[in-house]
Amino acid sequence: MKSKKYKYSESLTGYLFIAPQMILFLVFLVYPIIEGIRLSLYKITYNSETFIGLQNYIRLFKDEVFVKSAINTVIFVIFIVLLTVVFALFVSASIYDKNAKYVAFIRGSYYIPVMVSMVVMSMVWSFLLNPANGLIPYLGREMGFSTINLLGNPKTVLPVIIFITFATNVGQAIILYLAAMIGVPKDLMEAAEVDGASRKQVIFKILIPMVRPTTIYIMIVNIIAVLKIFVVIQLLTGGGPNNASNTLMFYLYNNAFKYNQLGIASAVGVIMFLITLLLSVPQLRAMLKKD
Amino acid sequence: MFKRKYLSIFLTVLLGLSLLSACSDKGSNEGKDSGADSGKKKVEISVWLTPQWKGVLDPTEEGADYDSFFKYAADRFEKEYTEYDVKVNVEVIAGDQRDELLNVNLNGGTPPDVFYESVFAMGDYVHRGALVPLDDIIDDAARADIEANYWDNVTFGDSVYFYPFSHMPGTLVYNADMFRDAGLEQYIGGENEIKTWTLEEYETILAKLKSDLPKNKYTNAYPMALFALNNQGDTWNLAYLRMFGNKFFDDEGNIILNDENGVKAAQWLKNIYDKGYTNPGAESVSSNDANAMFQNQQLAISFTNSVLFNNLKADMANGNVKQFDARLANIPSASGDPLTFTYVTGAAVFNTGDETRIKVAKDFVKFVCSDPELVKSSKNGIPVRASVVEQYKDSNPLFEAYDQNAKYMFNFTGNVPGYSELRQVLYPELQALYIGEKKPEEAIKSYQEKGNSIIQNAKADSVIYKK
Repeated sequence: MKSKKYKYSESLTGYLFIAPQMILFLVFLVYPIIEGIRLSLYKITYNSETFIGLQNYIRLFKDEVFVKSAINTVIFVIFIVLLTVVFALFVSASIYDKNAKYVAFIRGSYYIPVMVSMVVMSMVWSFLLNPANGLIPYLGREMGFSTINLLGNPKTVLPVIIFITFATNVGQAIILYLAAMIGVPKDLMEAAEVDGASRKQVIFKILIPMVRPTTIYIMIVNIIAVLKIFVVIQLLTGGGPNNASNTLMFYLYNNAFKYNQLGIASAVGVIMFLITLLLSVPQLRAMLKKD
Repeated sequence: MFKRKYLSIFLTVLLGLSLLSACSDKGSNEGKDSGADSGKKKVEISVWLTPQWKGVLDPTEEGADYDSFFKYAADRFEKEYTEYDVKVNVEVIAGDQRDELLNVNLNGGTPPDVFYESVFAMGDYVHRGALVPLDDIIDDAARADIEANYWDNVTFGDSVYFYPFSHMPGTLVYNADMFRDAGLEQYIGGENEIKTWTLEEYETILAKLKSDLPKNKYTNAYPMALFALNNQGDTWNLAYLRMFGNKFFDDEGNIILNDENGVKAAQWLKNIYDKGYTNPGAESVSSNDANAMFQNQQLAISFTNSVLFNNLKADMANGNVKQFDARLANIPSASGDPLTFTYVTGAAVFNTGDETRIKVAKDFVKFVCSDPELVKSSKNGIPVRASVVEQYKDSNPLFEAYDQNAKYMFNFTGNVPGYSELRQVLYPELQALYIGEKKPEEAIKSYQEKGNSIIQNAKADSVIYKK
């Protein structure tokens, strides 16, 4: 009896210790999610809230701009995450065992864009790409090409945004991969070398499998980040031309803050939450299972 | 042991409570309605405005800024107001952040008490029931001094929601030096004239600017500004779409652009773009870019309004912009009559739910918009009061030119509900038109369908239409 009471008070102390974190979690994460789901089922005006069931979702799926935004977001996620992982793996695997100063130099070079605000990066790219007075179109005209408008062409606007976002974010992945690769036990590599394995075999058979948890982490973090891609769209293209570069987050932002369609915006938020969950959970499970 | 445990429980509960209390919005209005030592009730109101003119009466004043006028007016109001002990907080917000800031604050229950802005941008807030009518602060003297068409602009349903202060007519601005260099002397109007060209003349001007503008003197320069990156400056695009006589809205407030004249106007825009008469990449160029290009003499013809034009002249005078001969012209039309519109600017009062603050806010608006000394500042735009125009017409010869234009004026918003969202569906269609993704008739049809759908939805929620 006494030990049961003791056990109870012990666990109570434990719960109290995690209570501050739990309160923060419940108030700032769980509550907004529940409130978001609730709002997505309502039509909200300045004076009233009316329950309309799934009407906001039905309206969304009938809206061609929303569908285009969803497709664009998926394209961004696939290409930016793939490019980031492949390029970061390539750079890290090439330099991880080189001279420490050289590694630091490469790591620093790729990390500088990460430290620069996305707003600043977008503005710099805007100065470069503006078709009327930007540097790149100006040089193009001077060299005798016709008007170059990479942001005004539906075929080039997505690749340009993918490149800009990838170039800005890849430094973070390189840092993580380098840290993981430097931590791979040296005896594995030495054993492989003694057995006559080539560098290619070492990278593909030892290095990449050993940094798998890092790969999964980078993928999850980047998927979530790219799903929320916004600043570069807002500052470079405004979703154009003709919504060719619109994304879910930009669509949500416009509905929430410009058109004041809170119900619609909440429905987009819920859909984004579900997509993130769908994309992240299997990878998270794979990571936890192995470890 | 027990003491330590209870202490940890106490601290944890305290932390939780402090977190919860931090989330509460109680206290945010503290001090706004509390009693004061003077015996009068203390009331604090907030006044927001987007950048309009600098200085109290004139931009040349020392330290002139966008909030100078309202800070001066607030100071006087605080001293002269007798009913309450008032404090007025003035804040300038960026024009392109207006809707974001207002929507966040409205949904959070903290709207400003007074907002000074162009009426066209604020009409939606009337339809949403966020603004209060101002009929009770408008007297006969004000009605007699301000022309009826300005009152029409600020009237929704049967009530007035904005106290008109000044207006900013929109026109074209051209670089007369570039015209001279291209051999277009005969098309240059007087310094204080708003020149009207026929559409044929305008097309000749564009063609000649394209072919005869000396390339060595004006590098990377184009005849005319064309922009469709976002909704900024879209009023000029709306005016171009009326060039061939389309009325745009019917009497019920529905868009009727999709007819022969509307399509012809879209075709005209596409033609001048394809012929290289405009800056390249209109689909990715904003009105800000166009304005900067005009100031850098990379565009011969651009858009302007009375305040922008005054600012340009002031920037030239103080050396911020290189001097050139900038003059005004009307947007031409096929009929030969100019197309002209104006942004009526005025003050509105938000429904904060606090009767005292609403009353003080209304009194402040009346004070600013009717005090004989303060209304003189409306000369920085074009005054809506005949008495102020009369006072300043000799020193501002353009007032008369704008006055002559007034008969051609059209109401570009139609005061329809959902105008903010309506603006968001125009520029994607123009982008589709310029990049060749849609033919003129497809772009116009699509805009009309989407626009009317927005208007219908907004009508269903509008407190004005529900009345």
